[in-house]
Amino acid sequence: MIAINNIGKSFGGKQIISGISSTFENGKTHLIIGQSGSGKTVLLKTISGLYQADSGAIDFDGRSLMDMNQKEQKLLRQEIGMVFQGGALFDSLSVADNVRFPLDMFWDVSEAEKRDRVDFCLERVKIVDAHNKFPAELSGGMQKRVAIARAIALNPKYLFCDEPNSGLDPVTAIVIDNLIAEITAEFGITTIINTHDMNSVMEIGEKILFIHKGHKEWEGSSKEVLNTENEALNSFIFSSKLTAQLKK
Amino acid sequence: MRFFEHIGKYLFLLRKIFSKPERFKIFMKQVLQEIELLGLNSIGLVVIISLFSGAVITLQLGYNMDNPFLPSYLIGMGNRETMLLEFSSTILCLILTGKIGSQVASEIGSMRVTEQIDSLEMMGINSANYLILPKVVAVLLILPLLSIVSAFLGIAGGLVAGPLAGVVKIADYIEGITFVFKPFYVFFAVVKTFVFSFIMVTISSYFGYNVEGGALEVGKASTNAVVTSSIFILIFDLILTQLLLQ
Repeated sequence: MIAINNIGKSFGGKQIISGISSTFENGKTHLIIGQSGSGKTVLLKTISGLYQADSGAIDFDGRSLMDMNQKEQKLLRQEIGMVFQGGALFDSLSVADNVRFPLDMFWDVSEAEKRDRVDFCLERVKIVDAHNKFPAELSGGMQKRVAIARAIALNPKYLFCDEPNSGLDPVTAIVIDNLIAEITAEFGITTIINTHDMNSVMEIGEKILFIHKGHKEWEGSSKEVLNTENEALNSFIFSSKLTAQLKK
Repeated sequence: MRFFEHIGKYLFLLRKIFSKPERFKIFMKQVLQEIELLGLNSIGLVVIISLFSGAVITLQLGYNMDNPFLPSYLIGMGNRETMLLEFSSTILCLILTGKIGSQVASEIGSMRVTEQIDSLEMMGINSANYLILPKVVAVLLILPLLSIVSAFLGIAGGLVAGPLAGVVKIADYIEGITFVFKPFYVFFAVVKTFVFSFIMVTISSYFGYNVEGGALEVGKASTNAVVTSSIFILIFDLILTQLLLQ
């Protein structure tokens, strides 16, 4: 479980997020939603330790991120898988080498075991016959799937995804969402996803955290989200004509 | 104030670069790759510019030495000294900064804006050490060698062009390139190239590593890397010449 308490982060004197508290449970898919510029990515990167929080506390299964020394933080990061918005695959490495990369860096096992693990991760995300392709040769959806395969290569306890279905068509976006939700449940991972896609909220959101202007505005389940009376959340969810008509 | 901020961030980056590599085997593999990418792929350029520059320096020395009291072997000697003292180290490094510096800055900058560097950090890898140290080691190993090759080719260029243009006889030219030869000048050229290579690759990496924004900023970082590296190479050329030749 990840627990955050009253965390804040500013850049160049500008407060981006402040006073955000929540808990993220094992084996569940948590969604952080909000408009572009609301502070979702900063929140996710602060929880993951990529940015250092200015205030507050972040606990990973009782271990305080703030109290960890550099070595302990490094070990913690090996328990975290992260899927970046654009995939962030290494351009110079093939698909198989991208997935193998964290294994080469941190696993002291035989070549055969590494190969098996790479095959397992790629099969799990339904990538076949693309081991030797390079990221530039893949579609957006495939790149995201390879990024997920790389993120789960080291058997992470925690999975962070920054807008994993941005730039994808609705069908592929649902495939990616479901893949993340399946992996979360299958391996008992604590998953936090940043998104502004309402399809994701309805498909896989077990717990929703709505961020508005750098603050936690609302928290609840995907069932509650449609019936909320929170004004900011309502205007976010029903901003498109389609969703507004559906509500009517 | 911005200047001191850059100096501070640059020194901080150097501290990150010079730490123990995560996996020595992977590090050595990277060094070999970088030697090929940054060094061996520059050989063609070094050969062409060195041969032609040596040839041109020889011709210009020949055409400007019309005093009959000046022995013609001085043409060979002049070309040798120019190549060793300035061309094969300073000018070569300035030219290679345009190639290697921009390549390093744009490669690292692209990795920064596409979150590949964040991805490394997220895995618990020291991204500066992983990405930049192999480049530094590769360039420090290969460019001093290229500098010696460049001096040799420049002198060879003069040997071909001088007699062909009729400005110097082969025997006089060969006498000139061996006349009062100081081996220390080879050491001087190697030391200068070593220092300039370090400046070139670390400053370029610094600009690439600290890019914020998108493709446009990567392009700007690449330009800034080349300009700043060139200025520092010239400043250190002055300092090293004063220190080593006084």
